[in-house]
Amino acid sequence: MSGFSASNSRIRVVETVNSIDETVFDTNDDMPHIIGTAYVQNTTVDFNNLTETRAYIGQECVGEVIETWTFTFTPGFFTYSRTTLSGTYNSPSYYPSYTSGSYTPGTWQQTTTYNPSTYERDPVTYSFDPCSYTVASYLYNVDAEETSTVVNIANLPSDEDGNTVDVDFVIVQATGSRTTNGKDPRFDQALPSAVPVKTFSFQGSILLESSGKANGDSWLRRIMSVYPSGGKLKLKIQESAGQLTRGANDQAFPHIAESRSTYNFNFKVFFGRFKS
Amino acid sequence: MAVTLSITPTRFIASSGKLDSQRRYIRKDATAPDLKFVMGKNMDVAGGGLRYVNPNGTNVDDGSYNGSFSGTAGVGVKV
Repeated sequence: MSGFSASNSRIRVVETVNSIDETVFDTNDDMPHIIGTAYVQNTTVDFNNLTETRAYIGQECVGEVIETWTFTFTPGFFTYSRTTLSGTYNSPSYYPSYTSGSYTPGTWQQTTTYNPSTYERDPVTYSFDPCSYTVASYLYNVDAEETSTVVNIANLPSDEDGNTVDVDFVIVQATGSRTTNGKDPRFDQALPSAVPVKTFSFQGSILLESSGKANGDSWLRRIMSVYPSGGKLKLKIQESAGQLTRGANDQAFPHIAESRSTYNFNFKVFFGRFKS
Repeated sequence: MAVTLSITPTRFIASSGKLDSQRRYIRKDATAPDLKFVMGKNMDVAGGGLRYVNPNGTNVDDGSYNGSFSGTAGVGVKV
């Protein structure tokens, strides 16, 4: 039967359902309750730009079209021609007295002609040399890195004497937005963000951003955690980037310098205990 | 008018209903919990990957994670 009992510093409430007594409230149980609340305004979460490294991987051939031609040289030469001039015979004179005739011998004349040399180019031929020369080749990688930052964002609740009270759990109610849209180093697009546009609650940690390789494997994670430790409420910001290799040689990551993301959050933090 | 205390054979109400036998007040229960309270940090990143620690304390890795974080199991509560 449903009932209430109070004895020996214990209050107990029982509800009877289908003839079975179920405890709905019992001060002997550890019952979670909130012992304090904190408001943390304008908390900035900042992930710096990723970095890349250029690695020399060797010489790379550069192809080239080769233009080829030859010349035919014909040396100059002389040509000669001769002209013969016949001799002349002077007939004798018979009057008034006989005189003998005379003969003027013939001669010849030579003409020399020089034919200059010629230098003629043959038709041009083309061929492709796949390794006409070489250049240094590089491969770009996003640097693997692990970064972690821990800051105190609030004090834990204290009792009436000012002593810090240990808490068993923390529930965070958050509102916030991404104020800098970090880009995936490979693409002109922002990294996917897991932060809802409205108020959301979480305990422990929350994933903020991630990115995967072409095969789906994760290579980038950005998270934050809110938890009590050492009398303080801590905010831990973590980033882990695995090495990411560019798919083509000699090409840097075009958006590596735009990969920084920032967030601004307002937290309402509930500090809870199981025992008073 | 608010009821300070009401006791009937089938129901107990106190403090204007803040304590009501027909409600379910969650209590710590390690043996048969209905849900768990996460007690602290429950994710870690390393090697470009993520480890998520389930409320029951088991690790769920994404295949890239290469760290050694070990979170703690949540505390079970019963409704």
